[in-house]
Amino acid sequence: MSRLDTIRVRLLGGLALLGCAVVSMALFSVYALRTVRLSQAAELETAQHSGEISNGIVTSVFQEINAGQQYLITPTASLGRQFRGAADESFEFSRELERTPDLTLDQRLAVNRIRQLQSAIEVGYAMAHTLKDLGREDQARVWAGAVLPPAAELTRTVRTLATEMTGRARRAERRLAALTGRWEAYLYVGLLATVIAAALVGYWTVESVEEPLQRMATAAGQLGGGDLRPMTTGRMPLEIQLLADAMRQMRDRLRTMVTEIVQSADQIASSASELSSISEELAASAGEVSTAMVNMSSGAERQRIELGVIGTGLTELRRATTEIGEAAERVATLGEEIGVVANRHHGDIASASTVLLDVREVVQTTSVQVSQLASQSTAIDDFVDLIRRISSQTNLLALNAAIEAARAGEHGRGFAVVAEEVRQLADESSRAAEDVTKTTNAIREQVEDVTATMAAGTAKVRGIEAIAEGAARGLAAIVAAVQQVEESAARVAHAAHRNREITDQLQRQAEQVASQSSAHAAGAEQVTAAAQEQGASTQQMAATSGELLQAAQTLRALVKGLRV
Amino acid sequence: MRSARTLASLGAAFLFAACSRSHGPVKIGLAGPFSEPRGVSMLHGAQLAVNQINARGGIRGRAVELRVVDDSASEDGAVRSAQALYDDADVVAVVGHLTSGASIAAAQVYGGGPHPVVMISPSASSPDLSGLSPYVFRLCPSDLAYGAALARLTRQGMGARRAGIIFASDDYGRGVRRTFAADFAKLGGTVVEEDPYIPAVYSFEPYLERMRRAGIDLLVLATERSAAEMALRELHALKVPWRVVGGDALAGIEAAGALAENVRLPAAYLADAPGERNAAFVAQYSRAHPGEQPDHRGAAAYDAVNLIARAVQAHGTDRRAIRDYIAQVGHRVPALEGVTGAIRFDSAGDAPSKNVVIGVVRRGRLVTDVTP
Repeated sequence: MSRLDTIRVRLLGGLALLGCAVVSMALFSVYALRTVRLSQAAELETAQHSGEISNGIVTSVFQEINAGQQYLITPTASLGRQFRGAADESFEFSRELERTPDLTLDQRLAVNRIRQLQSAIEVGYAMAHTLKDLGREDQARVWAGAVLPPAAELTRTVRTLATEMTGRARRAERRLAALTGRWEAYLYVGLLATVIAAALVGYWTVESVEEPLQRMATAAGQLGGGDLRPMTTGRMPLEIQLLADAMRQMRDRLRTMVTEIVQSADQIASSASELSSISEELAASAGEVSTAMVNMSSGAERQRIELGVIGTGLTELRRATTEIGEAAERVATLGEEIGVVANRHHGDIASASTVLLDVREVVQTTSVQVSQLASQSTAIDDFVDLIRRISSQTNLLALNAAIEAARAGEHGRGFAVVAEEVRQLADESSRAAEDVTKTTNAIREQVEDVTATMAAGTAKVRGIEAIAEGAARGLAAIVAAVQQVEESAARVAHAAHRNREITDQLQRQAEQVASQSSAHAAGAEQVTAAAQEQGASTQQMAATSGELLQAAQTLRALVKGLRV
Repeated sequence: MRSARTLASLGAAFLFAACSRSHGPVKIGLAGPFSEPRGVSMLHGAQLAVNQINARGGIRGRAVELRVVDDSASEDGAVRSAQALYDDADVVAVVGHLTSGASIAAAQVYGGGPHPVVMISPSASSPDLSGLSPYVFRLCPSDLAYGAALARLTRQGMGARRAGIIFASDDYGRGVRRTFAADFAKLGGTVVEEDPYIPAVYSFEPYLERMRRAGIDLLVLATERSAAEMALRELHALKVPWRVVGGDALAGIEAAGALAENVRLPAAYLADAPGERNAAFVAQYSRAHPGEQPDHRGAAAYDAVNLIARAVQAHGTDRRAIRDYIAQVGHRVPALEGVTGAIRFDSAGDAPSKNVVIGVVRRGRLVTDVTP
């Protein structure tokens, strides 16, 4: 990891900086102390050395003088050696003094002077001793006396020089003290600088940690507050950067999750609302089915009633038909009687004409009745039309119910069976109505035939009347006419009989339709009940989907607090 | 106050650097008692060397110039003249001083302070000069060699048994006395008397009288030439048959005429030394100074100037560089084949390779003693 922007690097760098500062200060201190110590030692040594030398010079010169003087009193070899030894020693000391470094010119000249004085003392005594040895006492005293001023000057010079050297040591000490003071100041400045640097490094480090942490805390607070929007935390140390990256990843994942939840909640809500509307539609459909069933039920009832009316009509029709048969039979009987009369009594033509007039009246009555029957069959047509419409509507309803049942799925399966039954019923009703129509048409044709026949009969009766009136024209024509009447009456009877059969059949069928209508009504009631049941279930479903919607809305409200 | 002094010293350093010119002549200090006869040869030898160098075109194209200061052979004079040469930033090295006392007194001046300068003495023989300072060199042997040679000469060559010593009460006199007395005693001789003198002593008669009474056969004059002449005169008056020898400082005594006849002294160089190089030097010297012959001081000064010239040629005019070069002569840099022989220095600044010969005054000339 090559990044330098880490807390570790900052800390290490800062510590290294401080360490360098401390070490350099320590080195400086050591250097200063060492310099001071060495300088002090050197100066001390110099001072000591110069003191020792000065003492040595003075002492040895004193011994030299002492020995020299004693030799002058008692010249012995040992005193001579003592003198020489002291003199040599004093020169050794002065040579040491000469070797002292860093003397001023004046001090060097003073050293030279000391050596000259030493030489003067040495030579003075040497000469004095020689002269003493030679017995020249006076000269010896002169030489010896000449030693005293140099001796005094030597002592003075040595003391002065020693004082100067001491002074030099003192000056050096003062210089050293000044230097030490300066170094002390440097050290204080260095210390201050180090402390400031330490404070700066500390501040810098804390700042570099705290400020990104605060940013992190703010980001975490926003995250806690539900703000999942992407945010930049800015530049920060690597360690915290890692934390920030982890937090950013967490936030991204949370955001993704919440987005998905919101979408899911929306979907659920929309599904629930859709479900709710479907339920409502279903409920409405069930209501419609129910209404339709009620309608169907009442329609079936009405059908039943009207079928009852048809039955009554048919009964009346039958009775009328029976009456027609009877009348026809009676016509036949009357014809036979006419024949018989005609055959036997051509005279009774007037009475026959009267009978014919009665016949004409009966025919006319019959014609009216047939016309009534025709109008009755028209009513049947209307009724059949009504049944056909009802069954068609029922069929349509059943189809719708089947479709709705299919949409209702499992719940609508039973209802689908019912709807299918209803549809079949409607089909059967429709077929029955068609049969009725056919039958009615047949009846109508017959009735028309009867009408035409009766019109012809009427015309023929008029002809008979004309013939009877002519009376002359022969009974044969009458008999033939009577026979034709008989035949016609037989056909009428036959037609009436047939009509009766048809009517009976029609009646049975009407009864059947009625019973079927009853069953139909019962089925419709069942459907209504099922539809009502379904309506209740649908309402339950609507309630459940409402709850679902409410849950979805609650979920959305919860998620809504989160900003993504 | 202190800052003012610091400023002053800084200014001085700046001036010192500024004055140390890289143009103009190369200055070599020459310090000795040039008003005295013993200093003449040294001056002439140094001048001869300078003239020859300049005739060859100088050093690195720069002329060589001598800065001559007279130290009167006194310690005070040496300290003062040394200070003057030290303070002259143009002086790259110093040839001097002639006497031991002056050299020892001046050594600390040259070797101290911030700009030490090397000194090469042609003739200061005191043992105390050895290793006195890293900036001190000499071309002559120390009295340790001279004293030993002298003791062998007198004890073995002349058969002397009892010696009397008159010595100058200075570094030189004490050095010769000490080394001779030790070696003479070692060889079985007896030092009967050791008598010091200073210039204030106007007569050696008491010493000589006492020596005569004590009975000696050898007089050692560890003195400079003028005192030796006085001793010889008084000796002549006493009419004693003592052999007389002296230290190297007696060189030049031959000018004293008959008094100095047969006086013997040790020397590292004599004008009649063999070798073409010396012959040429002596010839050139005599041509430049008719009627004169170089002594060991002149020859050594000649060699010293040439040595410094070689150092400047090699390392420029920096004082420290010159000193370092000279310290390496005979080691990392080749020895100088001078007229006084091969020059190589030991760590004490001495040239121990020099052979000590004995010179004797014969008919007014100092010649190599071939008799013993």
